[in-house]
Amino acid sequence: MASLRKKINIPVFLFLLAGSVVMIFPFVWMIFSSFKTVADVYTYPPKWLPSSWKFTNYKKVFQMIPFGRYYFNSIFTSVAQTAIQLALSVTAAYALVVLNFPGRKFLYTLIRSTMFVPTVVTLIPLYLLVSKAGMIDTYAGIILPQVLSAFTIFLLVSFFSSIPTILFDSAKLDGCGYYRILSEVVIPNSKSSISTAMLFAFLGHWKSYTWPLIVTNKAIYRTLPIGMKYLVQESSSEYQIMMAAAVMAILPVLIVYLFFEKQLVQSITLTGLKA
Amino acid sequence: MKKATTIVLLLTLGISLVFATGAKEVSTRPEVVKLQVWYAISGASGEQFLALAKAFDASRPDIELELTYSGSYADTATKVSAALLSGDEPDAAIMAAGQLYTGGRGDFSMENLVKDPDFNVDDIFKGMLEYGMYEGRIAAVPYGISSQVLYYNKDITDKAGLDLEKNPPTTWAQFFTMAKTAMEKGNVNNSPDFYGFDTSDGVWLFKSMLGQNGNEVVRKVGDRVQPAFHEASGIEVGRFWKSLVDSNVMPAAQHTNAEKKFLAGNLAFIAASSNRVARWQGTTNFSLGAIVMPGFKNRSIALGGNVAVILTGDQYKREASWELLKYLLEEENHTAFALSTGYLPVRKSAQNGAVVKEALASNPLYKVAFDQLDNAWAYYHFQEMGTMDSFFWYALDEIEKGVSSVEVALAKAAASLEKEIE
Amino acid sequence: MRKQQEALRIHRVTLFGKQYESAQVRAAVVLLVPTMIAIILLFIIPVIQVVSYSFTNYNIATGIKKYNGIANYKHLFTDDRFFKAIRNTFTFAAFKLLIDTTLALSIALMLDARIPLKKYLRSVYFAPVVVPVVASSLIWIWFFDPGIGPFNQVLSALGLPTSQWLYHEKSALGSILMFSIWKGLGYNIVLFLAGLQNIPPSYIEAAQVDGAKGYQILFRIRLPLLRPIISFVLMIGIINTFKVFAEVNVMTPKGGPLYSTALMVNYIYDTAFTSGKMGRACSASIILFIIIFILTLIQTRLDTSKSITME
Repeated sequence: MASLRKKINIPVFLFLLAGSVVMIFPFVWMIFSSFKTVADVYTYPPKWLPSSWKFTNYKKVFQMIPFGRYYFNSIFTSVAQTAIQLALSVTAAYALVVLNFPGRKFLYTLIRSTMFVPTVVTLIPLYLLVSKAGMIDTYAGIILPQVLSAFTIFLLVSFFSSIPTILFDSAKLDGCGYYRILSEVVIPNSKSSISTAMLFAFLGHWKSYTWPLIVTNKAIYRTLPIGMKYLVQESSSEYQIMMAAAVMAILPVLIVYLFFEKQLVQSITLTGLKA
Repeated sequence: MKKATTIVLLLTLGISLVFATGAKEVSTRPEVVKLQVWYAISGASGEQFLALAKAFDASRPDIELELTYSGSYADTATKVSAALLSGDEPDAAIMAAGQLYTGGRGDFSMENLVKDPDFNVDDIFKGMLEYGMYEGRIAAVPYGISSQVLYYNKDITDKAGLDLEKNPPTTWAQFFTMAKTAMEKGNVNNSPDFYGFDTSDGVWLFKSMLGQNGNEVVRKVGDRVQPAFHEASGIEVGRFWKSLVDSNVMPAAQHTNAEKKFLAGNLAFIAASSNRVARWQGTTNFSLGAIVMPGFKNRSIALGGNVAVILTGDQYKREASWELLKYLLEEENHTAFALSTGYLPVRKSAQNGAVVKEALASNPLYKVAFDQLDNAWAYYHFQEMGTMDSFFWYALDEIEKGVSSVEVALAKAAASLEKEIE
Repeated sequence: MRKQQEALRIHRVTLFGKQYESAQVRAAVVLLVPTMIAIILLFIIPVIQVVSYSFTNYNIATGIKKYNGIANYKHLFTDDRFFKAIRNTFTFAAFKLLIDTTLALSIALMLDARIPLKKYLRSVYFAPVVVPVVASSLIWIWFFDPGIGPFNQVLSALGLPTSQWLYHEKSALGSILMFSIWKGLGYNIVLFLAGLQNIPPSYIEAAQVDGAKGYQILFRIRLPLLRPIISFVLMIGIINTFKVFAEVNVMTPKGGPLYSTALMVNYIYDTAFTSGKMGRACSASIILFIIIFILTLIQTRLDTSKSITME
């Protein structure tokens, strides 16, 4: 196969390279801005580079908010939410794809409908529920109300339905029950698709702002997006500090993503099934 | 079946026990009263507030504060609404006056608290006390109160040959000529996006102007609030507003971008909150000036900012919260807050106090807002005030963009508001 | 051997007039219970409340809640701003879906080609997804600034006409669209890439051996095989674009010049939390729900590919 497409597609490469400059420009701007002074920020004509490269803004972030604690909270709640969400979604998607049971289509529609309602309206009812459960100002209060994701379920449904049914049949012939088909056939064969779903779930939580703000009062439970909002006053005149916080918030995630990129994107291939 | 009945019985018993003990607790004051306090001010103002509140906490062994930044004004409003519905409300809060929850819910117990002789309510500016009122009754005490001030870029006015210190404009008509001159001769940046004047909050400035032209924003007729901003003298204000846009002195519908324009040196004058002074001074690329706002028939000025409310129903927590508010509003403490944030002192005694005089002498920019204090007023706060402001924004957009005439735009906003009040 | 025979002997039950394998039904019940609990608590109960609020004058500032029939719905149908929000939402969604899907699909196809720096390029196209809206919208507000923003600076340096971007009713929604596409493109690219990786290379090899040209392979093999993932992206896209809220709220807090950027969820949020009218906001949400429901129904009806949508 390699012999058939060995030529590098130069026009496509150049196009993508140009596009990547557009995509990456805001990041470059963000990093530059994080070193600027107020005077650099508000200047005409706009200055692209800061007048000096000092870490003052970065230091100031730590003075203004407990950045480390917020970081930990963001990671902790995002990981926990992702884990629970994945557990729910994998079992649900498996049942929807592989098992035949009454009400399957109805359930499918119901799950899809959960996406139709904007979160801003269910905010108050959900808050009342969480409050009744005594979970205001707890990690559980941040995590549990956000674990249901129709998107993740559908993503997994689409991945699972591309697993050849012959694998299920042969597992049944080997005497596997339906739970073992899940644990021994479906999960091992969809590791990379599950990682994709995991990535999306994690990012969804990592960015979430309104719910964690509403449900927490104590600073020790606050997450990063809330801390970042504290840095911007109504008029965002602390722009450069906000940018420093953004760089610190984003870079680790980007680095982790770069590490896992290969596994996440490149190998979302089901060739492993051939073995 | 039997098992289930037993469980239900036990549960009922347990719950009623919890309630019984819960009811008892109220009758004796705990040794340490714990207070949940939320505040909606961030950055430097937030830090200053925190420092004061922490000092109070340290000075009172019988009171323990838990202080929480609750997000922007809008976020805090959302949080407080939700918390009040479920009973998780904080005991006290510093928040925007837009949603005076206590008043909205018929709780005016603040009326009695301010009678406390230690508080000396008569020392508080009348307009500021009004700012904490809801439907004419005291529901909150003023805290971070601000007024709009006319800031200017001295590099621009110098280049245009204007001397604001010597000849400050007293009327909007005079100001109009000056802004036009600044616009024509003062473009220091040679920017194509250069303007003479704008405000970061159009609705706020418009309300001030209404007052200056002797027009009310709303008025109470019988037991009903009625819009008044669309009356004849209000339309005059609208016409002046429109003339600013027509002569290209003010950009149309760009108020949310006015501060950036000003800081970049692309705007000669800006009407913005007095608390910007703490943020801007010494950080701008140009020399910053400020003058008292011009006027029409008078120089009155509408107040804005945040207030302190007590939300808890618990007797001891209310008392402790009141102690906190009293402390925050003591002349010395509040003056310290005002002088480092650009918010206004709420006490008349502070205005002439030695500390303030000394500070103002060395820092004339803060003085402007203080000079406006005697003309400050607050418009009538009522349930639909948030809704009214959004109609107002839209009406100003329509006027500036020339979509409707001044009369039509204001009348439409008034009609929509009237429909909401029904 | 005996084990296998046992496994093959299937117990069946008849439920609602249809036959099912009892082991499957049992497993489904067990596996779906956690999700069902979550759906009941996090969706059904709140939605029942939303529906019941929609027939009241529920005001969260005063706490007053009284039944008022269909007054909220009546009000909405006479509210110009509500219709403006609906119009804006449809315009936004149409352009966003069209541009986002075609752009993401083309880029995914290109990223699948034989090019150097593949890994780097993929990460770059995905990177914006990682940035929280609070931060990324601040960056873009700066780009769009008519005076001190780099966009106008570059445009005027090139001798091109500049724009007022977020500050003119004709360009405001388009500016937010630009931002939103930059921000969300990576999502769909990753999904399409995943779909492309699933196409067995043998199909393409066979076509190449038969002498098929590049575009023939694209239109006859790759795109048809991508249909399930395309329809998935479209379905999720319709739902998500109709719920866009945060970027608009941060970039144009008052709904933009002449309310030109206010989308339905922004209208709902303002009604609920600026004006306190939760009852009316709930009515508006139900209308939004119905709109999304109808659109996804149309989408699934038009879509003949079976594998994902299960219709």
